[in-house]
Amino acid sequence: MTEARKTFLLGALGILAFLALWEVAGQGRWLGLSWPPLSAVLALLVDENRQPLFARALGATLSSLGTGYLIGGAGGIAAAALAHLATPLRPGLERTNAFIHAIPSVALAPLLILVVGREGTPATLAALNTFFILYVSTASGLAATPPALKDLVQVLGGGRWTRLRRLDLPMALPTIVSGMRLAAPSALIGVIIGEWFGAPRGVGVLVINAMQNFQIPLLWAAVLLAVLVSLSLFGLFGALHRGVVARLR
Amino acid sequence: MKAMTRFFRSSWGILAILLFWQLWVGLSGVNSIVLPSPMGMLRSLAADPALYLSSTAQTVALAALGLVLGVALGTGLAVLTWFSRFLAGLLTPLGIIFASVPVVALIPVLARIFGYDMRTVLAIVVIICFFPAFVFTGAGLRALPPGSADLFRVLGASTWRRLVLLALPAAVPDWAVALRLAAANSILAAMVAEFLMGTSGLGYLFASARSDFDMEKALGASAIATVISVLSFLLASRFEGWAGRNWR
Repeated sequence: MTEARKTFLLGALGILAFLALWEVAGQGRWLGLSWPPLSAVLALLVDENRQPLFARALGATLSSLGTGYLIGGAGGIAAAALAHLATPLRPGLERTNAFIHAIPSVALAPLLILVVGREGTPATLAALNTFFILYVSTASGLAATPPALKDLVQVLGGGRWTRLRRLDLPMALPTIVSGMRLAAPSALIGVIIGEWFGAPRGVGVLVINAMQNFQIPLLWAAVLLAVLVSLSLFGLFGALHRGVVARLR
Repeated sequence: MKAMTRFFRSSWGILAILLFWQLWVGLSGVNSIVLPSPMGMLRSLAADPALYLSSTAQTVALAALGLVLGVALGTGLAVLTWFSRFLAGLLTPLGIIFASVPVVALIPVLARIFGYDMRTVLAIVVIICFFPAFVFTGAGLRALPPGSADLFRVLGASTWRRLVLLALPAAVPDWAVALRLAAANSILAAMVAEFLMGTSGLGYLFASARSDFDMEKALGASAIATVISVLSFLLASRFEGWAGRNWR
């Protein structure tokens, strides 16, 4: 058996063991009624009567996530490129970013509701989270170009703009894509917290309502739905990252 | 004068935001229930420092304790998996999955399991700090300088000596990255947990002030959390830079 297959099998075994433990702990009520067995949660998730509920929530969450992710991601990359071209702006942009990112989203959400409304808050929080991660990863990717190549562009008569377009950006692409992967779960957290503050629908609304009404299996199903969305996005961007690295290195 | 220039160079963005905010509130004349000004927030902080201080102390203590416990557990388990290939193969993918899960979404579930009190806040911070520590330390213990593992084997070093003299020092830079991620998240996680469960601390102060429409107090609480979070992020980044320079 090859080493890679062995690692894969062991990993699968670990995940299966975790799922089995979840099921047994739920069946045996080790942690009381708050811990339902996996089968009950899955049954609820695929229950036909609940499909419209989950589909509506998922649709709202994904559309906020997509909007926020695109705006925040494009903004983050653009801001990092700007800081790269206009060096005097860099320390200020970095400090402002770290500061805004450190404001707790629970504190930001009530302000955002005033400024962008209940419907726009989840997307805005997602955009802020994505912006920060993509700014940091783009900036560190752009800064990592080997000096010898920079000198080469200069000797051949290329200006800052040419260097950014022909050298720095392509060199930074693997780091940027890896930032895109990290930003996906973080953007989802933004959407969910935004939805907790009174968005009309979404997975976060489902979570908070189920929590307050003690609908334990529904709470777990909604959280599992959020986790599945996050993991599939993470996997998707992981595949993209491998593709980019294979193409460029 | 030089210090002033440096301060301005790195902080113009924050100053501009605060100035714009203050001017906007002043000129549009909105009620302080809707949107308080930065000055109003400062006044509220100065009016009742004892209240803010006790809430802050509690949240910071919970977050710090959770950070220490979570990072210690994660590091300990990572070292255990270093000894056993079987354990490493079994646990690493699970750890990576959990590290990429939106943990904040799990807070309602954890609150149901552990009950609505301070121990739950602590448990949440521990869990949130555990996963990065486990994943990054595990990766660092295996990313050894090329050839060094062979050298240790040739010299006949025992497994224990290989761990203490080679793998652990090699893992310090990665461990510092995990610490930075966990430190910034621990305060925010504690605050979100307190906010959702309504127990005590900064998150609760924020929630109760908000439901009393005392927005100046609510924003005061979140301003404190922001400052602490920025400070712990800066401190951990500095440690990360130091570890990267001295241990690689």
